[in-house]
Amino acid sequence: MSATRSNTLAGSADSGRTRKGVRPGQPEPGRRRPDGVTITRTLLWLACLALVVVPLGTVLALAAGGNHLALLLEGDVLEAGVNSLVSAVLSAAGAVVVGSALAILFDRTDLPGRRVFRLLALSPLLVPPFVGAIAWIGIAGPTSPVNLWWRDEFGGPLWIIYGGDGVVFLLIVHSYPIAMLVVSAALRRIPTDLEHAARIGGASALRALVNITLPLLRPALLSSFTLIAVSNLADFGIPSIIGLPERFVTLSTLVYRYIQSGTVDRPLEVVATIGAVLLVVALAALVLDLVASRRRWELDSSTSTPQRLPLGRGRVVVAVLTWTFVLTITVLPLLALLSQSLLPAPGVPLTLENLTLDNITRAVTARGTVTGATTSIMLATLAGLICGVLGLGIGTLVTRTKARDNRALHALAILPQAIPGLVIAVAWLVIAPRIGLFNTPWLILCAYITSFVALVVQAVAAPLSATPLTAEEAARASGATRLRALVDISCRMAIPAAVSGTVLVALTAVRELTLSVLLLSPGAQTLGVAIFNLQQAGSYNTASALSLIITIVGLAGLGFAARSPR
Amino acid sequence: MTRITRTTAVSALALSTILLAGCSAAEPAAPATDDALEPATITLYTSEPQEKADALVAAFNEVHPEVTVEVFRAGTGDLTARIEAERTSGDVQADVLLAADSGTFEDYAAEDLLLQYSPADVDALNPDVVDPDGYYTGTRIIPTVIAYNTGMIDDAPTSWVELTNAEYSGQIVMPNPDVSGAAAYNAAVWLAEPELGEAWLTELAANEPVIADSNGPVAQAIAAGTQPVGIVVDYLVRELAAQGSPIAVSYPTEGVPYVSQPVGIFASTDAQAASEAFVDFLVSEEGQKLAVEQSYLPVRSDVGTPEGAPSMDDIAVLSPDLETIRSTQDAAVAKFNELFS
Repeated sequence: MSATRSNTLAGSADSGRTRKGVRPGQPEPGRRRPDGVTITRTLLWLACLALVVVPLGTVLALAAGGNHLALLLEGDVLEAGVNSLVSAVLSAAGAVVVGSALAILFDRTDLPGRRVFRLLALSPLLVPPFVGAIAWIGIAGPTSPVNLWWRDEFGGPLWIIYGGDGVVFLLIVHSYPIAMLVVSAALRRIPTDLEHAARIGGASALRALVNITLPLLRPALLSSFTLIAVSNLADFGIPSIIGLPERFVTLSTLVYRYIQSGTVDRPLEVVATIGAVLLVVALAALVLDLVASRRRWELDSSTSTPQRLPLGRGRVVVAVLTWTFVLTITVLPLLALLSQSLLPAPGVPLTLENLTLDNITRAVTARGTVTGATTSIMLATLAGLICGVLGLGIGTLVTRTKARDNRALHALAILPQAIPGLVIAVAWLVIAPRIGLFNTPWLILCAYITSFVALVVQAVAAPLSATPLTAEEAARASGATRLRALVDISCRMAIPAAVSGTVLVALTAVRELTLSVLLLSPGAQTLGVAIFNLQQAGSYNTASALSLIITIVGLAGLGFAARSPR
Repeated sequence: MTRITRTTAVSALALSTILLAGCSAAEPAAPATDDALEPATITLYTSEPQEKADALVAAFNEVHPEVTVEVFRAGTGDLTARIEAERTSGDVQADVLLAADSGTFEDYAAEDLLLQYSPADVDALNPDVVDPDGYYTGTRIIPTVIAYNTGMIDDAPTSWVELTNAEYSGQIVMPNPDVSGAAAYNAAVWLAEPELGEAWLTELAANEPVIADSNGPVAQAIAAGTQPVGIVVDYLVRELAAQGSPIAVSYPTEGVPYVSQPVGIFASTDAQAASEAFVDFLVSEEGQKLAVEQSYLPVRSDVGTPEGAPSMDDIAVLSPDLETIRSTQDAAVAKFNELFS
């Protein structure tokens, strides 16, 4: 059994794919009448045109409206560009390392407490980055308890979070869950019998992991790296709160400066020009990704339930290390949020008689919370479902069929990730009156889909590109149409990945701020905006309470969702 | 689309008003001083916090229940972005803008985006906040002051100069002029002030202040003691103190720079009368009393000042020539960035 699988493993992508189509006895899939696959492809292209090409085209048109290229060579912009690139690449590398280490520990080993910790490790997804950043300032700011104590003992602070290193750190904290989810989904598709074979052959558990599992995970590692690097290019909340105090400027904070300060004459054109530059950078990243992923292994789909790797004597050590790590980066900021939620105002000492539930009551009953929650949950659910379907379609099509336009379609779906939310929002605002969506929630939904469809596409493409086409070929040989084979075989295989992608989109959308704040109609609210408004109104502790509630409810929902399918 | 329906609705209502007017002899008088207007809907773009904007609209509706005000609330930068985007594809969708600093309004006036309108009762207002050309009117005095953590600082600094003392090294937090319009304005005012100027700003930079995002995080950092001293707008400090935070205001003796949260009407409005009524209300006695309740310093002298604030006569303010400040503001921000990097 394991011998046949090893054979499949040895067969490379190219030999597997070129053989298709010319197999004797099977009709050439030439240009006859359009079949189901062609129609699906056309529909997906149309969706991409409407939801990606139109807004990106608007950005480019705005940029072309004036010649601001000279501006790009100014010191400010160059410096911000370098900062963006460095922080995005470093944080993506860090997030992939952390995320895949956790995914392997939680999914493939007998680590004690893995179920609870897996859930806990997802919590940074649910805390809005601008709230998380403020919580972290309380933990590692210049006068945080830790730094003050360290200063007393050793004469200087331990580590101050402000500046480039802090930005990279927080970007890692807020994006490793993405890598964790993508890698987990891919891990589930790697048959454990390969590891067993290695173990039977005398390899240690670690060796089997490093030599068998990790190479097989390469497509997933690569696609989550690209996804995270590209989306961290555009992050705004973290660099603005953590980077600016040390004058660490990135392109997305620079975009804001240009819009706000009125120092340039045509702010929209300038901002769109920067958006266009980010597009080019992202395109370069995608080309690199493509080159790096030329050589890929393929695997048969796994039928065996994965067997967990015993950690043996190291179990306790690994467990303590993992727990400490996960607790530090997830529970510490949650505790900071909790203490803020229970105190009436910042700076009030944390004593028993000062504790109050007022913030929590106010957070739950405020008008903005109720309407915001309704709108956000509706929009996040719809965005999750639509992105799920689109992403499943695009991800499956570009990995399971051979067509010249696959790469273009794939790239198109990922590109919007690299553009700051502000620029995408502006593009949709410009389009809105022409399509009659101005001042409707559907405008926000469109912008969410533009921004988040990449999350599902990458989650789906990663595991599928490592699976051979044999099953589809078998289906075709038994008389299934191309579409039928694609739907019944490929899509089925991709559904776990598409579901985690959908969850990812919904979680990101439910607390989204940058897009919603610009695209809301007067009087409407979303949860992210409700938190932001509370904070703007000086009700910092109520804002903390609302963030905490969203995190806890979200985690409970995730825990519930994670339990049901297994 | 919305415009068309709005116009039809307005005319239909206007018609019914005329019909009703014929038999309205026994109708009770309008609840307030102004005459009732034709029913209308106006859209307000504002950077006021949501709760305050809601309270403002509610108070306005007691005087003018026939006018519906739809509020779009966002930060100044987001408002600017939205207005720019709307201009790209057509008219600005707002009727009234209540936000930002006079610089933004001057820019819009120069591009013919604003109506000229002097509110009723304009003579009762502080003349410094009224645009001589009549494009906008200030609605609150928002000074930038020194704030300190009362649990950590016993002897509060009373002047800008004191902040350059070595004892405050690493202890100060202030907003980023790249993000906060008020902070950019302040930088220009400080640099133009002979007593302070570049020498003072250089010495302040030597104390290595933390440059936080905007006024909100600054007030939070002072209250929490992250940095016990800061430069921040005064009303945030009063609000935090009222919630129980250990924070207090000190008005520096040299004088305080202030912005005035101006209001203006967009020329593209289709509800001019209602918009004008809203502007009138903002600076009227009732409107200003509400501002004082909301912790703001008022723009008229007959409504008192918020609890815990000195009377207007006791606050030294810096009112430099606005034209000079506007023309030097970009250079001032660049200078600030150079000194504090």
